[in-house]
Amino acid sequence: MNRTWYNRIWINNKARLGIIIVSIFIIIAAIGPIFFEDPNAYIDTPLLEPSFVHLFGTTGQGQDVFAQTIAGARSTLFIGFGTGILVVLLGLIVGSLSGYFGRRVDNVLSLIINIFLLMPGLPLMVIIAAWLPPGPFSIMGVLVFTGWAWNARVLRSQVLSLRERDFVNASVVSGESNIKVIIYQIWPQMLSLIMASFIGATVYAIGAQVGLEFLGLGDVDKVTWGNNLYWATNDLALLTGSWWTFVPTGLCIALVSFGLTLINYGIDEISNPRLLSERIVKSRLPNLFNRNGSTPVARKLFGK
Amino acid sequence: MENKILDINKLNVDYLTERSSINAVRDFSMHINENEIFGLVGESGSGKSTVIKSILRILPAPGVITKGEIRYNNQDILEFDESKLSSLRWSHISVVKQKALNSLNPLLKIKEQIIDTMQAHEQIRTKDAIQRCNALMDLVEIDRNYLNSYPHELSGGMRQRVVIAIALALKPKLIIMDEPTTALDVVIEKEIILKILDLKSQLGFSLLFITHDLNLILGFADRVGVMLEGELVDIDSAEIIKSGGNNAYTKKLINSIPDLSNYNQSKTNKNEPELIHVKNLIKSYSRHSSIFSSDKFHAVDGVSFNVNKNEIVGLVGESGSGKSTISKILTKLIDFDGGQLLFNGEDVSGITKSKDLLAYRKKVQMIFQDPFASLNSIHTVYHHLSRPILIHRLYNKHSKKERDEMVLKESIDILKEVNLSPPEEFLYKFPHEMSGGERQRIALARALLVQPQIIIADEPTSMLDMSIRMEILDLLKSLQAKKGISILFITHDIASACYLSNRLIVLKNGKIVDSGVVSEMINNPKDKYSKLLIDSCESGWFINQ
Amino acid sequence: MNTSVQYLLKRLGIYTIAGWAAVTLNFFIPRMMPGDPVSVMFASFRGKLKPEAIEALKQTFGFTDEPLLNKYINYLSHLLKGDLGISTAYFPEKVSSIILSGLGWTLLLVGISLIISFVIGSLIGMIIAWKRDGKLDSILPPSFSFISSFPYFFTAMLLLYFLGFKLGWFPIRHAYNSDLIPGFNIEFIVSCLHHALLPASTLIFMGIGGWMLQMRNNMIGTISTDYISFAKSKGLSQKRIMIWYAAKNAILPIITSFGMAIGFILNGTILTEIIFSYPGQGYILFQAVQAQDFQLMQGIFLTITLSVLAANWLIDILVLILDPRTRK
Repeated sequence: MNRTWYNRIWINNKARLGIIIVSIFIIIAAIGPIFFEDPNAYIDTPLLEPSFVHLFGTTGQGQDVFAQTIAGARSTLFIGFGTGILVVLLGLIVGSLSGYFGRRVDNVLSLIINIFLLMPGLPLMVIIAAWLPPGPFSIMGVLVFTGWAWNARVLRSQVLSLRERDFVNASVVSGESNIKVIIYQIWPQMLSLIMASFIGATVYAIGAQVGLEFLGLGDVDKVTWGNNLYWATNDLALLTGSWWTFVPTGLCIALVSFGLTLINYGIDEISNPRLLSERIVKSRLPNLFNRNGSTPVARKLFGK
Repeated sequence: MENKILDINKLNVDYLTERSSINAVRDFSMHINENEIFGLVGESGSGKSTVIKSILRILPAPGVITKGEIRYNNQDILEFDESKLSSLRWSHISVVKQKALNSLNPLLKIKEQIIDTMQAHEQIRTKDAIQRCNALMDLVEIDRNYLNSYPHELSGGMRQRVVIAIALALKPKLIIMDEPTTALDVVIEKEIILKILDLKSQLGFSLLFITHDLNLILGFADRVGVMLEGELVDIDSAEIIKSGGNNAYTKKLINSIPDLSNYNQSKTNKNEPELIHVKNLIKSYSRHSSIFSSDKFHAVDGVSFNVNKNEIVGLVGESGSGKSTISKILTKLIDFDGGQLLFNGEDVSGITKSKDLLAYRKKVQMIFQDPFASLNSIHTVYHHLSRPILIHRLYNKHSKKERDEMVLKESIDILKEVNLSPPEEFLYKFPHEMSGGERQRIALARALLVQPQIIIADEPTSMLDMSIRMEILDLLKSLQAKKGISILFITHDIASACYLSNRLIVLKNGKIVDSGVVSEMINNPKDKYSKLLIDSCESGWFINQ
Repeated sequence: MNTSVQYLLKRLGIYTIAGWAAVTLNFFIPRMMPGDPVSVMFASFRGKLKPEAIEALKQTFGFTDEPLLNKYINYLSHLLKGDLGISTAYFPEKVSSIILSGLGWTLLLVGISLIISFVIGSLIGMIIAWKRDGKLDSILPPSFSFISSFPYFFTAMLLLYFLGFKLGWFPIRHAYNSDLIPGFNIEFIVSCLHHALLPASTLIFMGIGGWMLQMRNNMIGTISTDYISFAKSKGLSQKRIMIWYAAKNAILPIITSFGMAIGFILNGTILTEIIFSYPGQGYILFQAVQAQDFQLMQGIFLTITLSVLAANWLIDILVLILDPRTRK
């Protein structure tokens, strides 16, 4: 009960595994690129299979796949987390205004949120990104523009329900200003949802970013995970059978997303422990417990 | 010797936790005879629901039955396997729960929910089943056409009758009713209880009636059991329980039954000026009868009243009467659609500027029904008390250190006033570390710190245990006298309104149906509804016409 | 039924506004971008188009010196006539006819994979939530969430590489055998199905997890409701409670949110089509991006938006039919 929230996340198995995976990639992104001078440099014959010289082999351009995989982490994770933060901030602000003030403010903002949700994400990203000069900040802008609405909707409905709670009313009646009510009374109550939204937004940002770059809408000269995959298909990896040019990068993307998803599972299990009581009975009375059956009778175990 | 239909012997129920367990019901023994009405009484958390769920073996995890016997017709239910249990359920023992809407599947027609019950227990053709459905509907006096309706299309009282009809579907020997009338207003409550008694005399079954309302059950039960913290502390015939029972706790409960003779006799001083005056107040909501369509309904429909300085006015009404809407209008939490709100003779109906609102809130404060909900769980008592001080006092000129000292001093003083001692200890507690009564005192302290002229108290005692209610009422009374403020006491409980208030206003369906000085209201209520409310304080009220 | 009709009209209003917003975005995006990309676009036409043709394009799409409002109205009136312009990648074909040629393939792919993954996912979700007994429940949700962590197109690449390229079980590109002449005959249909199998499997495989997890969570929510415990105490059979009490209530919110999910599903479809060179909207979009064919990209964006809006309206009608609480 009295454990702090980060302690409670840490003792959850899923969340802990997720945190470890994500931390490893953050460390790789931070210090990895130091070891490679220029991951784009031509270093050996193109399309060499993995060996001790080149752990993950070489690309169709004769670049080291291992170096590119490590180097790609930095830009991809930077854009991913950066977009995650911006998306949640925007979603939180719009969602809070909409949910807290209600009525006309809510009508207008909800309509805008719904319109953004109804427009298909990837094609919208494509038509915007196609006009923008390629580069990380263009991608970030596109991702924020097309991705904020989902979070705004989720956070709005939470604010809407907290708005009706009496501790908020009590705070309003005691004369607190609206902004302070939102910041000091409402936001702290939805920390786990904000956290979960941030992680969800980051997963979205990594996936969408990789997708855009894969289509060739990023700055194709930069080393990123999305560009690695773009170049792999461009160099006909599938037809030449050079699986090593795309598998390492794909696995890294999946691992990071999986790690983040695991953290979210953990947060969800902690903030609404739905199956906890069944799990307790099952572990303590394994022979008597029947999930959809009747209340167990354990007279022999407890009675005298 | 009468025939025991249900005999519970030394029942123990535990809720398992990860390492140990909580003993929710301890050595609970009782029996019910054929054709008997047994009332089981206790406050929320006393374990009465746990007992009835154990009888049917439907107590969900982490509940485990650890000791004792539950014998139905001399067979121990605790030995039954799943198939024996499902044939016991409903054909022998059925249940009616408090929230009828929640008991019914929203996506199946009433008819389907009665028929599937029959078909789960016997081979029956649909045609015959429908015939029996019709008979059941006649029995509970609902139009047969409603068989083809969905639950959301029925009113609260009708749903409860449907659930009773389902409970009767297989003619069980024992029906367990868990607070079946708690969510209903007195008029419907009276109808339902009379219907239940009528059905019992027609069909002949035993009834286990669970309630927190001792006054209600004493009116029709043969025997009554009293539960406290998982134990049956008293069990005897209704007459003996009524006269005080065999236990100190029973006496306390009997004494806490609202007693109108102990009403507030001090009348309002006619010379005091008017503080709040509402004229022809109207507030309508668009009611979502389904999630897509809505029609307007008037929550508050032309209400006019006033509250004078140094006066306590009781605003009495049941759920849905519009009393909470009025409290929110008076505290400017919501707007209203028509009428006028005057404060100290000044029209404050349309104030919207934050400066004006702040000035208004300096004078009008509020306490809420549920003290756990009205305190933010992540903040300490100190935070809750310091905010009103910092907002409403002009401490900005002082240094931070001086300001902190003054806030601390005021907080401690106010905690003393609401009888929380030692105050220093309470300052850094979180809401979950205090009892319900203590939390409500904190909420009261927060309102008082603003130094208002009137406090709107919206059901301040209804979430508290009966034994604590009087303490809070007495505290309100003494603080009112000491500070010379006014209180608008909003409640569904006419007895506590009579105890605390100088004057009463009775509200029904958004309209004032009756009002006057307490003694007049008690002795000759002008309106039929307010008479029923007054009568409902007597036990057995629903039988006398 | 009157209120239902009102509701459907109200929703139609929202979709109309959303459609208008998409059209307007389409008009303004090229005009708001930094660095005069419009000139870049027209520069790319040089050599491909005659100067007169470029001038005509400028006229139709309002890249002229007229006031903005006139251009906007001009643009809208062209759209209303179904004129989406001329593709530069497939010059001189019309954008609208290129899009139409791919629409059927995308609908086929999305339709099949959506229905199959929804049905399978919901069934598994229902069962693991009802049993919540260990094995299945501890294996399936985490493994499916691991699978859905992969980008769609990466999974598609893996499947294409191993099943198509290495093992040769499936064709690796296109929607049907190009030796065949499209027509309503067995040979052609079999070829279509054979070609659709791998891309559809990718989408089904990636989609099941989401439906499963949603259904599982909703089921667990409904299992603790009062009407389930009431149904249990009525002595109903497990099967009756699971399907008619728990699952029926759990699936409605999923169908309600189906409309929002379509956008996500389309993202996956687009990328999968690209990998399999499957000639639907996604593949055409990819061609358009490669060739910097802005008219075609915008046309596809509009087409997909309108399809999503139409699908949402159909779902509104479906919910109205399924949920008695929404009817009056």
